Amino acid sequence: MTDSHTASTIGVMVLDDHPDRASLVEASLETAGFRVVSMLSSSSGLLHQIEQHQPDVILIDLESPDRDVLESLAIANNHNPTPIVMFSGTDDQAFVSEALRSGVTAYQNQALTPDIVKPIIDVAMNQFRYFESMRQELKETRSELEDQRAIERAKVLLARQQSISSDQAYARMRKISMDKNQRLADVARTVLAVLQKNENSQ
Amino acid sequence: MNQAPFNLPAPERSELDLGYIRLSDSAPLVMAQELGLFEKYGLEVHLHREVSWANLRDKVVVGSLDAAQMLAPLPLATTLGCGGLRADMVTGLVLSLNGNGITVSRELGQQLAGLGATPGDARANTLALQSLITADAAKQPLTLAAAHSFSCHIFQLRLWLRAGGIDPDQDVRIIVLPPEQMVDSLARGIIDGFCVGEPWNTVAVQQGIGTMLATGYEVWNNLIEKVLGVTQRWHQANPTSHLRLRLAIMEACQWLAEPANRARAAATLAEPEYLDLPESVLMPSLTGQLQFQRDAAVVELPHFHVFGRFQAGFPWRSTARQLLSMCLELLGREANEAELVSIVQQSYRTDLYRQAARYLGLPLPATDNMPLEPHAEPWQLAPGLEMGPDLQMEPK
Repeated sequence: MTDSHTASTIGVMVLDDHPDRASLVEASLETAGFRVVSMLSSSSGLLHQIEQHQPDVILIDLESPDRDVLESLAIANNHNPTPIVMFSGTDDQAFVSEALRSGVTAYQNQALTPDIVKPIIDVAMNQFRYFESMRQELKETRSELEDQRAIERAKVLLARQQSISSDQAYARMRKISMDKNQRLADVARTVLAVLQKNENSQ
Repeated sequence: MNQAPFNLPAPERSELDLGYIRLSDSAPLVMAQELGLFEKYGLEVHLHREVSWANLRDKVVVGSLDAAQMLAPLPLATTLGCGGLRADMVTGLVLSLNGNGITVSRELGQQLAGLGATPGDARANTLALQSLITADAAKQPLTLAAAHSFSCHIFQLRLWLRAGGIDPDQDVRIIVLPPEQMVDSLARGIIDGFCVGEPWNTVAVQQGIGTMLATGYEVWNNLIEKVLGVTQRWHQANPTSHLRLRLAIMEACQWLAEPANRARAAATLAEPEYLDLPESVLMPSLTGQLQFQRDAAVVELPHFHVFGRFQAGFPWRSTARQLLSMCLELLGREANEAELVSIVQQSYRTDLYRQAARYLGLPLPATDNMPLEPHAEPWQLAPGLEMGPDLQMEPK
């Protein structure tokens, strides 16, 4: 990590429409000793905000419509005292590709050298990935819950229609699942579809 | 899979990801998909709507997109490496000519009309704007927006201003804004006008927020607007996939050249999986029936978008040269002749156009450059080789 004296003089602006992610990135960068200001992107006051804060590095979501605006600053010096370029001096194509694939784009003051900016991008990349994995985990947790709910409902419905105990109903579905090599939740969904049709037609 | 036409060699890669931006002139890519033309050439294409040109370019550069609709100067600017990731970028096919408009706030439009300039009259409006700026010299300079630094929008805006004697660097402030923020920014008074592709001029007009002063066509007749861009490296690794891609899109452009097909194109683009916009905002420019102001008469402009006519697919190196010079002017950079020639030849691949056009039996321009003398009327480059007018507004 860059020594704290150098870090504290570097101002980083984080533009992100995901406030949760922005605060993750902000916290990590502050811990590393950088000055950070974060805000929602896609606001029309963007140029004004940049003039006011004069950041040395701007981190922005790859999918932000404001990227064309930021790139225009590189040539329109009258709106911005420090030229901003993307990954200036970074000839490491693999690093750039990796950053872009994780969703991070960085624009930096041309005066900064890559060795100062790289740790900032590294932090952002880690946080973007962490955020993405949390979202994925949440999605998986949700689908696990839905699976359990389907199994419960199928068990109850099967027991009622076949006049058997719910343990017996569960055992039957388990057997089908193993015989057909299907996930129990998928068996339960098929059972539900068939039994609900029966109930409706009765 | 059916045998692809012309006994083409097998594609190196048959599943392709293509990027485009939410604009009416993404029609060639969308219609190639809808008409089953990619399939006809043995390609399975996924279209991805991107939110910025920077994003689209970077995805092409790092390979997460195979190819994309690009602003005509973008392959040149990317090869030059100004304002973003650098990579050798090539185009062997132009997708469309024209398609832009210059629109100002209704209030400013009324002031210009008060000076005798009719909406849609490009020259009268820039002259009126010049006298307004001279009279109001003490006021804040007007802020005008364009969608990208290296775009025909900025170049047309600058040409138009200069035609009225307005210095685009001193007398006004030109900023970049995403197209989708243009109308809202105009309504809120953050900007006074913009030069942008359709449907955003029509959206401003229909909502009564803006008045269209000029079409891009009037500023520079039949200027190359969008191209199909790929990296040089991708082209070298996938020459047959690239050829098949160009053939499919060229057929879509020929289909779009037929005026009777344009309403269907507008209806298709309107769908949620493409532009997701009301058909009523896409119809005017695609069918060439535009309004410059809300409630004003409909004006017939059949060449507002040109696809597949006037040799529209040909990547003229003379035009590329002009666009590259304009990029360098914005950067305040001088390039030597050798560098200019090398970038133009590397990026604008007339040989790739000819290769595909031969399969389709389309006429082949024998030269890579348009003649210097401009034309006010349609003309013939060679017998049977129809070209459109190519006048540009001259500085005052």
